[in-house]
Amino acid sequence: MPRNLVGYAVALVALAVVAWTVRSYFGAGGGPAGGLGGGPAMLAGAPAQSYEVKTLSGASGSLQSYRGHVVLVNLWASWCAPCRSETPALQELYRRDRSRGLVVLGIDQGESSAAAAAFAKEMNLSYPILVDEDQQYGRAYAAVGLPTSLVVDPTGRIVRGIDGELTLAQMQAAVEPLLSGGS
Amino acid sequence: MPFDPSSGSGLRATGATANTVLALGTAAAGILLVLAQDVTPAWAGYHTWQYSAALGIAAVAVGGYALGARRGDDGELGMRLTFAMTGALVIIAAGIASGLLGPDTETVQRAPGTVAPLPDVGAAAFFPVAGPASIAAGDATVSLRRRSAPELEIAPGGRQFVGATVVEAVSKPAAYVEARDQSGAHLTITQPTNPSFLSPVLLFPQQVPLANAVLPADAFATPALHRQIKAFYFSKSASAAARTHGFAGREALLFAVDDDSGKLIPGGIGFAANGQGVDLGGVRLRPTLGSYPALVISAVPYPPALWLGAALFLGGLGYGFVGNQLGGFPRKRPIFSQSSEQASEN
Repeated sequence: MPRNLVGYAVALVALAVVAWTVRSYFGAGGGPAGGLGGGPAMLAGAPAQSYEVKTLSGASGSLQSYRGHVVLVNLWASWCAPCRSETPALQELYRRDRSRGLVVLGIDQGESSAAAAAFAKEMNLSYPILVDEDQQYGRAYAAVGLPTSLVVDPTGRIVRGIDGELTLAQMQAAVEPLLSGGS
Repeated sequence: MPFDPSSGSGLRATGATANTVLALGTAAAGILLVLAQDVTPAWAGYHTWQYSAALGIAAVAVGGYALGARRGDDGELGMRLTFAMTGALVIIAAGIASGLLGPDTETVQRAPGTVAPLPDVGAAAFFPVAGPASIAAGDATVSLRRRSAPELEIAPGGRQFVGATVVEAVSKPAAYVEARDQSGAHLTITQPTNPSFLSPVLLFPQQVPLANAVLPADAFATPALHRQIKAFYFSKSASAAARTHGFAGREALLFAVDDDSGKLIPGGIGFAANGQGVDLGGVRLRPTLGSYPALVISAVPYPPALWLGAALFLGGLGYGFVGNQLGGFPRKRPIFSQSSEQASEN
């Protein structure tokens, strides 16, 4: 009888393993971690990647330098017409809310420092500009076009990713919850 | 010629019959068929009905033998081998489950600096940012991140088992392209038809017939100069076969520069070797050729099931053959006989 019991136990374990094996093919479980591809909107909740690139003065700068602030990251290029048309609103937002802890960070995608500096001078920009010649931020933020904007909270987490041109009201609505202490 | 257990085989001393040998052979063949999935996981044949049918036949044969052996049809050795047969059945069942239920092999290729969800793996693949040096070296390592599990790194040529899948990193041709205008100013590169819009790294997802060969091809744009550019990748052998003037036997890209309307710019076609600049249609292009990993995801038999099955199979073989020769195990029949005699005396 004990010998039969051992046999049944082995058969039962074998069946359980087979069931366990079959189950492993239906949903790997756990789910992926971090942000996923498919446009900037999918990045909400993911940590904002930061890369060292040049500033307009030729020094080194990155998004990381603004940790502790609410940051509106704006990816742009001087040849991009919608970027050009939304820039005055970005400058106005920065002027209004800078004192409340907001940083507008413009990151030029793929152009030379000279091109970015000429654009900043032409548009009379006072917010910080980074020059990302290798387009690292654009790739990391799943940009599907320009402009692309991201709202990053003081802990360095992406709250929203937005594809396309924004109005001043839309920018304000995107950053206001963080500036007023919400999430 | 039929198998004769008395013909001098070493198995004869263990009490093996033709049935024993046939069952063990079938079990071993089934196990080898299943283990082949771990050796060459990307082969599409594992997901065909023929493969599942072969394993199914092996399972029926092994299972049938095990049931009979439990009843004593194959003597003492057969009874002892039921553990090994159970192990073989577990392994074969894992192989059938992988073939029938596992996803077909899939290749995931993404631009550097992007993230790809891998639902079959329950992970997200982080493709690292790669500059010209990394593309040239072909040494970028992809990270797999899962919730509540350690991060896994996969270097080109490497593989990682994740649940019932194996994820392999294979090197694919890639080129980092730098574009400048006539004054030497850096230009934005966009890839409007690719998911990674702002990547200057070409991954050549298309295969285009050209110059008596099928070449990896990709396309990008320099919006500031209103140029659309096609790029065709010539490996060393492809450029040698095509006898490209000045580039034969060297890795090179063939560029074709169009305007915004898709019309070829006069003088807009030309080769650029690795690291060499070329001036085409008002754009200065300089490619760095090399490789970047893509992930190949294949279903494999669930590893814990394989380990348990292997332990049962090998342990069962030891119990069957070594234990039988030592003869140190209690025999069922005498024990029952003695008990019944004692019972009748009482």
